[in-house]
Amino acid sequence: MPGSNYDRDLSVKEGFVLKKFLVKWEMILVYIMVLINVLLAVIKPDLYFTHGTVQSMINAGLDVSPLVLGMVFILLLGDIDVSVAAQMILGGMVTGLLMDKGLPSLICVIVGIIVCMLCGAFNGFCVAFLEMPAVITTISTSMLFRGIVEIVLGENSLKNFPKWYNKIGWMNIGGIIPLSMVLFLIMGAIFIFVLHKSPFGRKVYIVGNNPTCANYSGISVKKVKMQVFILMGFMAGIGSIFFIGRMGGGLSSSMGTGYEMTAIACAVLGGVSTNGGKGKMWGPIIATFIMAFLTYALGLMGIDPNTKKIVIGVILIVTILISTINKQMIKDIKLRLFYHNNKNIEAINDRTAAAVKDMKKQIKELEKGNASDKAAQIEKLNKKIEAAQKECKEKSAQWWAEQQENAKKAKERFK
Amino acid sequence: MKNLLKSRNTGLIAVLIILLVIARFLTPGMFTSTSLVSMLQNNTIYALLAIAEMMVILTGGIDISIASQLAFVGISCTTLACSHPGIPGIVWVLFAIVLGALCGALNGFLVGYLHMVPMICTLGTMYIFRGLAFVVSGGQWWFAAQYEELNGYRTFAIGQFLGLPIILWITIILLVVAGLFLGYTSAGRRIYAIGTSRESAAVAGIKEPKVTFYSFVICGAVTGLAGMLYTANYAIGYYGMADGFEMTAIAICVLGGVSITGGKGRMDGVAIGALIMSVITYFISMIPGMSVWQKSLQGGIIIVAVAINYFTEQSAKRQALKERSALI
Repeated sequence: MPGSNYDRDLSVKEGFVLKKFLVKWEMILVYIMVLINVLLAVIKPDLYFTHGTVQSMINAGLDVSPLVLGMVFILLLGDIDVSVAAQMILGGMVTGLLMDKGLPSLICVIVGIIVCMLCGAFNGFCVAFLEMPAVITTISTSMLFRGIVEIVLGENSLKNFPKWYNKIGWMNIGGIIPLSMVLFLIMGAIFIFVLHKSPFGRKVYIVGNNPTCANYSGISVKKVKMQVFILMGFMAGIGSIFFIGRMGGGLSSSMGTGYEMTAIACAVLGGVSTNGGKGKMWGPIIATFIMAFLTYALGLMGIDPNTKKIVIGVILIVTILISTINKQMIKDIKLRLFYHNNKNIEAINDRTAAAVKDMKKQIKELEKGNASDKAAQIEKLNKKIEAAQKECKEKSAQWWAEQQENAKKAKERFK
Repeated sequence: MKNLLKSRNTGLIAVLIILLVIARFLTPGMFTSTSLVSMLQNNTIYALLAIAEMMVILTGGIDISIASQLAFVGISCTTLACSHPGIPGIVWVLFAIVLGALCGALNGFLVGYLHMVPMICTLGTMYIFRGLAFVVSGGQWWFAAQYEELNGYRTFAIGQFLGLPIILWITIILLVVAGLFLGYTSAGRRIYAIGTSRESAAVAGIKEPKVTFYSFVICGAVTGLAGMLYTANYAIGYYGMADGFEMTAIAICVLGGVSITGGKGRMDGVAIGALIMSVITYFISMIPGMSVWQKSLQGGIIIVAVAINYFTEQSAKRQALKERSALI
């Protein structure tokens, strides 16, 4: 039956359909990014077209980018990690302290990253093996890690970091392409490969979708969770390099609060579901750029950083709401609003709408062709449509009345 | 007797007594009646927030926007009170409760009716409320001198009644009322039912969105009250106040035996948890050079408390399994 709702397409492979590709979430994100840039170029042309504005926008927003990449994996598991900023600061502190001792810079950086990985492993151990909820574990470990930094550093700040840190935050290759963007895109490519092409990435998806099913399929859920949390720790270590570079090679205990929230916001904006198992890697990568442009653009328009928080909060909520809207939800709302919660009325309306659509199509075809009794046939179909609509209306009214009467009766019985 | 020994609260009380004994030896100055009252008065905001947080955690959700809500409501009350200094303090208490309930209603609508994940939803509203607090205050700070000029604004926090500050009485009454509400009313039991199992609650005819919505509204109302009392108690108001308080509130709940997955936990446990937390914070602030330890100690306490919760639950499960197998 063409045009009905009930025919199913069981073919597995989907070809490239331009119509579908253009309304994908990732493409919508690209439109948003273009829109922001166009708006900015129109509102502040003298600033936007100055040399270096776009580069500094990208540089300013990308210090959070490694955290976003790691956070996508965590969210795909259905977990959450709010201790990443604290991990990042802790790793940076270890690097800085070792640099103060005079050790070679490469060893210091590697030790810093290893410390972050240990932090991640601790989170992973609590979540995977002790089965503690990820939210509460990482909230408390974030307090723990930041507390350690506060105990060690106190009011002091570390200033001795490798020289190349600053280049990551500030340098443009050839004065045009930001170094941080190049590094981020390379990391992003690796992560896309790992998530979408490697067995490990597929395991993450299965565990996120249904841990029980994954367990029965022979996947060690605990191991995968542990690996993902250690990966997050590794990315936090990389993030400390970006962050300290951006901060101009300085570190104190109160720095970087709220970075975990920005990372989560970027990942969620990129279309990763917080329930786990849903999302693509390239969405968050685009979303990171959007966040960078947005925060910088709001700053350029003279909006106070605290007021910016409202905008970011609203954007976060609205995007999640948009992504939760699907066909089923629209159907439910329609059922409640127009069909009085009566499935029979819904069914007859749907069927009539499909039939009417079908007949209208036929009329159009007839109009194009040159059959002899064209006018008569069109008239006939029009009458049919009218009859179907009339019947539908009558039946819905009848059923609605019946439903009301039933409800009345039920009420009386319970009195 | 056997039940009493097994109960979690007995362990908590033992911890409390041990802490007090240690405190007795390390800081002898702590055990005067004035310093004990001031200890309770300074930490009672945490208890109020813990009550609010518990309402949401019991449904299986989490609310990390309460600290921002507190700041927003507190700042709004202060701003309005300063522009109308003649209005008596009770009006501001009521205003704070209503405004807080509205904030909670926003969260509740998003989580309950639009089915957003509580953590992410309140993450967004956390940003929004903190930003609104800044917009309302305009970045201004208020200090004790300004609060003293207001007509009875501070009475509800620092005024004395039967030898205790009124804020303590409010907290005690709220603890009792909320405990009775959760334990002995059908509305309260519904909150537990939702947290234990959404599916079975829905099958039993409980409207899950509605209960979630109202639990968030109650949470918001209590938070709003705490916001007004915060400004009245400490006589300070700025948009960044109470930063990180939501973590302490969650810590108290978990310490008091509230299961973070919902459906488990009692108000008496939370009350003892709040007492333990206030003893620890006060104790730390009494010893010079210890204040930097506060954050990591709190974090460590939560982890240990959750781990203990986990192991006791596991042993209870094993015990129940044994009993069942004995029946067969």
